Amino acid sequence: MSPLLRKVGVFFNGLEHGSANHNQGPVSCQKVMVCQKLISGAHSSPLSGVAPTNERQYRSMPTHGIGRWKYLLPKEAPRKKRDRLQMKQIRAATDTEYGSLSVKVSGYDMTVVEHYSQYIHNLCNRLRIRVAESYALPTKTTAVMLMQEQGTKMYVDALLKTHERIVQISSMNATLCPTFMDIVLQNQPEGVELTVKEHAERDFLERFKARPQLEGLMAQVNQRD
Amino acid sequence: MAAPRLRMAAGRCFYQVFRLSRSAGGAAAGRTGIRRFSGAAAQHAAGPWRLLGAACVQRLAVISEEQRPMEARFSELMHQMELERSLMSDHELRLLDDKKKLKRRQAVDYDSEEEEDEDRDQDIILTQDLEDAWEQRRKLFHTQPRVQGDVDVRVERSDRWLTEPLVLLTQQEVGADRLWLLPQTPWEAGETLKTTAQRALSSTPGLEMQTVFLGSAPCGLYKYRLPRAVRGSEGVTGVKVFFFKAVLRGALPPPGPSSIWARKSELKDYLKPSYLDKIRPFLLDL
Repeated sequence: MSPLLRKVGVFFNGLEHGSANHNQGPVSCQKVMVCQKLISGAHSSPLSGVAPTNERQYRSMPTHGIGRWKYLLPKEAPRKKRDRLQMKQIRAATDTEYGSLSVKVSGYDMTVVEHYSQYIHNLCNRLRIRVAESYALPTKTTAVMLMQEQGTKMYVDALLKTHERIVQISSMNATLCPTFMDIVLQNQPEGVELTVKEHAERDFLERFKARPQLEGLMAQVNQRD
Repeated sequence: MAAPRLRMAAGRCFYQVFRLSRSAGGAAAGRTGIRRFSGAAAQHAAGPWRLLGAACVQRLAVISEEQRPMEARFSELMHQMELERSLMSDHELRLLDDKKKLKRRQAVDYDSEEEEDEDRDQDIILTQDLEDAWEQRRKLFHTQPRVQGDVDVRVERSDRWLTEPLVLLTQQEVGADRLWLLPQTPWEAGETLKTTAQRALSSTPGLEMQTVFLGSAPCGLYKYRLPRAVRGSEGVTGVKVFFFKAVLRGALPPPGPSSIWARKSELKDYLKPSYLDKIRPFLLDL
């Protein structure tokens, strides 16, 4: 190392001891900056900002901090926690338009049910029908119990899982409705049930899991009142 | 009448002059110039139009179409690929387990006391036996044939051509002739046209069936003017028929008198060309 650097190092050592409580990062950065300025003197380095304390700093290396690039990226906003699901406004029916409708597709075969609900959603997009939401309801499992031939015990024969998907439409023009329903019914696959009904608040509440403890507490509170 | 018009125009602005001249020209020549909606009815109609409500009842396809050869090959290939990439289910794992245990039992150095300690709580029924029982039950189940040629030919049956949607046609008396058309009935004052269409089905004997009307708005219109002789005698300019779409729901109805279920390709054999032209746009094939 040149005698010039050594002199600079001694000078800054004093500073570091003095400010031992502070973050050593900026001081070392500045030291390197100064060193580089002394050596090259031509270009100023863009080093600024705080280096993380959990990184090892080889402060004496002239190439210290040469690979740093994250400080150049724009600052990301911190990720918010996901908000509680809010119900979208349910539109009432008018003379020329149906209000919020929910198209429910249910069946035992998940791939067919999902593909059909995707088909309905794409059809709505194509026909410029505004889709409010498209979601799945929890799967319902039905156990088919059969009586044993020689005996009274029931045994589980099969587990049938009913999958449900809902496409919630915010509003539909009354003149477009017969055409839409015709296409949807003509392309209904085998083994899939289709229901179109008006969307109500209890349909929204069906999406959530039951909370037995909370309900018990609420019942207790109501009883006391 | 040029002089009086000019005198009026002299005292007024240019826009009003333009409007007066246009309206004068319109009234005189009939349908030249810009059409005025308020004036149109007054110009053409000699009397009202007769309104009819008709129901276009469709029996949708009951089963899906047969796959074409390319589709069949592709679906087979996809099925095979998915099978080869899939993981074993619980049942298959149990099958393999049982086979291994059987092989172990038949080995020379098998000590029943030592090795059966682990599977004390094993089921008595082997998985292979379960499979055999299921196979037996499957053999008792018989499927219906997909295509029945002799049923397809009978036009009055509603269970013909299960892979295609069918439309209901009836034979009705219109004027002097007996024509094939969609069930229709005249509109009565005080009811909506959709109710008229529903009445067209329920009032005709042999057409009572469980239907769901797909909407309150009509899907098509067919209008024609009556010949001059009839027009004068009844005081009616023409007839307008409003069509409403409906879908058959529930069990398939038995054949009724003078009613047929026709495919879209067979409609031209029964309906008049001008009528079919107005119906074809709303009989969707998508």
